[in-house]
Amino acid sequence: MKQPSISSAPSTAIEKIVAFIDTRVGLKEIQAKMLNEPVPGGSRWAYVFGSILLFIFAMQALTGALLMFYYVPTTDHAYASTQYIIHEVDYGWFLLGYHFWGSSAMVVCVIAHMSQVFLWGAYKPPRELLWLVGLALFGIVIGFGFTGYLLPWDQRAYWATTVGVEMVDKVPLLGDFLARFLKGGPTPGQMTLSRFFVIHVMILPAALMALAGLHLFLFRVAAPAGPFTGTPEEIKAKTDYFFPRQIWKDIVGMAAVFATICSLAFWEPVVLLEEATPDPGEYHPEPEWYFLFYFQLLRLKIFAGEFGQFLGAVALPVLFMILLIALPFFDKDPERNIFKRPIALISWIVLMAVMVVFTVSAVINREFLD
Amino acid sequence: MASERESMSPTKVGFGVLWPACWTGLPIKLVFALLAFAMGMMHFEGRLGIAFLMLLASPVTVLAMPIIVMGLGSHFGEGLGLPLLFLLSIPIDIWALDVVGRTFLLERFRKEPPGGLGFTLWWKSALAGAFFLPIMWFLVSVVTETAVSTSHSLAQAEALRGLFGTGLPISERIGLEVTLWGTIASMVLIVLLTIGVSTVGRIVRDIAAVAPPAPGDYQAVITRWDLMRVPGDQGLFLTGVTGTGVLMCLLFWAVLPVTTPHPHECCTKPEVKVQAPFKPFKPIEALTRNEQQIGELAAQVEALEQQKAGAQGEKEKGKGKADGGTTANAPAEMKL
Repeated sequence: MKQPSISSAPSTAIEKIVAFIDTRVGLKEIQAKMLNEPVPGGSRWAYVFGSILLFIFAMQALTGALLMFYYVPTTDHAYASTQYIIHEVDYGWFLLGYHFWGSSAMVVCVIAHMSQVFLWGAYKPPRELLWLVGLALFGIVIGFGFTGYLLPWDQRAYWATTVGVEMVDKVPLLGDFLARFLKGGPTPGQMTLSRFFVIHVMILPAALMALAGLHLFLFRVAAPAGPFTGTPEEIKAKTDYFFPRQIWKDIVGMAAVFATICSLAFWEPVVLLEEATPDPGEYHPEPEWYFLFYFQLLRLKIFAGEFGQFLGAVALPVLFMILLIALPFFDKDPERNIFKRPIALISWIVLMAVMVVFTVSAVINREFLD
Repeated sequence: MASERESMSPTKVGFGVLWPACWTGLPIKLVFALLAFAMGMMHFEGRLGIAFLMLLASPVTVLAMPIIVMGLGSHFGEGLGLPLLFLLSIPIDIWALDVVGRTFLLERFRKEPPGGLGFTLWWKSALAGAFFLPIMWFLVSVVTETAVSTSHSLAQAEALRGLFGTGLPISERIGLEVTLWGTIASMVLIVLLTIGVSTVGRIVRDIAAVAPPAPGDYQAVITRWDLMRVPGDQGLFLTGVTGTGVLMCLLFWAVLPVTTPHPHECCTKPEVKVQAPFKPFKPIEALTRNEQQIGELAAQVEALEQQKAGAQGEKEKGKGKADGGTTANAPAEMKL
């Protein structure tokens, strides 16, 4: 005798809407695929940085859009409109402060995310493409910081960008073309501001969204690498699913970063220097804090002179990026435990120490600039 | 698993409990910190980083901070918000230590967590911190100051002058100094932190020593450990968290200042005094200028000598005339 099938007809309005969309889009299948992803070894706080980066980008896009209601990207009005946002627009100081500190948070989180992937050995096969796309995203984040810094058009913004573009000029063969392309002419001016504005609000966001989507797709195909310690039995016993455990951790991480950025916006609101002029006067150009270590490194005698400047400004960063790109292809040892990879561990510690030491040195060096 | 308990070092145990407990409590503390900022109840000077770390590690810093502020004269900022924040941290830390402590005891020691674990861990850690942290603060400060002055002297040592003629360039000197004193200060800090963390680890180990073993096999233990991290009524928990979040957002936007908050009198940045422009020494220009000056002075000396010689000749001429005639050896009058 056939048992009558129990019909599960939706009863509430929400259930009816969900059923309507599900029959046409396959909503429940998408939901199951997205949320029921197994996380081997259990959900971890170390895995939250990727989601945090997406969150920070969303907040930067939101605050950036709100700032664009008042910002004018012309040399005549960029400075005045930014000051208007800070002093006249209700809560404008907070939005600008959030956007400013959010950019720093993005750099910190991208370095934390890359460090986690590197230390966990999650760049090793079969995750090479994931690593390469991640490096491209890193470049985009740095590009955001570089292009956005010019937009207030004060002395700090103008001269930090000038120093940065002069470094691009040192690239052999293409340097002059690249520098002129960025400046829009022989000297920084209106064309520079226009180009940086378009790159910052249109080109880079589109590139980031496309690459972030690719990054997520590759991550789902390759599956999470999981912890580098523990027996297979332990890892299997502790397997979580993305929802709700990892999502909960991601939400807490996002909330903590949000609260931190807001606190920083309170502690140090954005204050502009004088409006940009072709003469730096008493002002000593300096990049944003996350470039300070490299700025100080380039002050060393070894990087003096034409060859030294090429070495420091072009050769060294290019070599470093080539090393990072080639990393998954020459480090094929399946061992992922960081404590059994002494070269990787020591390299990372040395790199972090160099960044900290030279950043502190750059701050101390300010007293000796005159 | 007595062998596992005994083989796990106190530092590992202490780190395994303190690290997750501190981060578990931080997001909740940050929300209150943000509200305190928005209400203008808290103002910081430059030591925001240290204040953040002390808030993060408040299970051990809560009693130590007033001692450091009053006894050692360190100043983090002003406002009622700061002590209020640390008082609010107490129940948050007790809850965080309870959650983390119970899961740690079950998973790592396979022991049944005792009741009131959170409060026990909290007061013992706070007491240990109250003794240890001010000593650590004092020692690290003294070592850092000594290391800074020593590295400063080393960087200006005569031996290094020979390397670059006039001594180390400024960038190299600063880099060397920072590396020297930074390494020494970091090593001392790491050693003292390790001692502190292992003290907390011993506290946890002593609690685990008297706890009964947890029943069941590994999977059963992990299931219990897993469920300990999940609230019993998830719907209620979610509603509560969402409701609290909405309330906090409304409160935040209600108290947020419309215009840039002015800094508190305690913490205004010092006015930048414009000093007289310092003219840098340019050696080539100075040499050229000196050469020009020397040339001019030499020309003046020559002119004076010629004038003197001319005057001498005039004198002798006059004397010759007075003696009755020009002498054959009268020098020709020199025209300048």
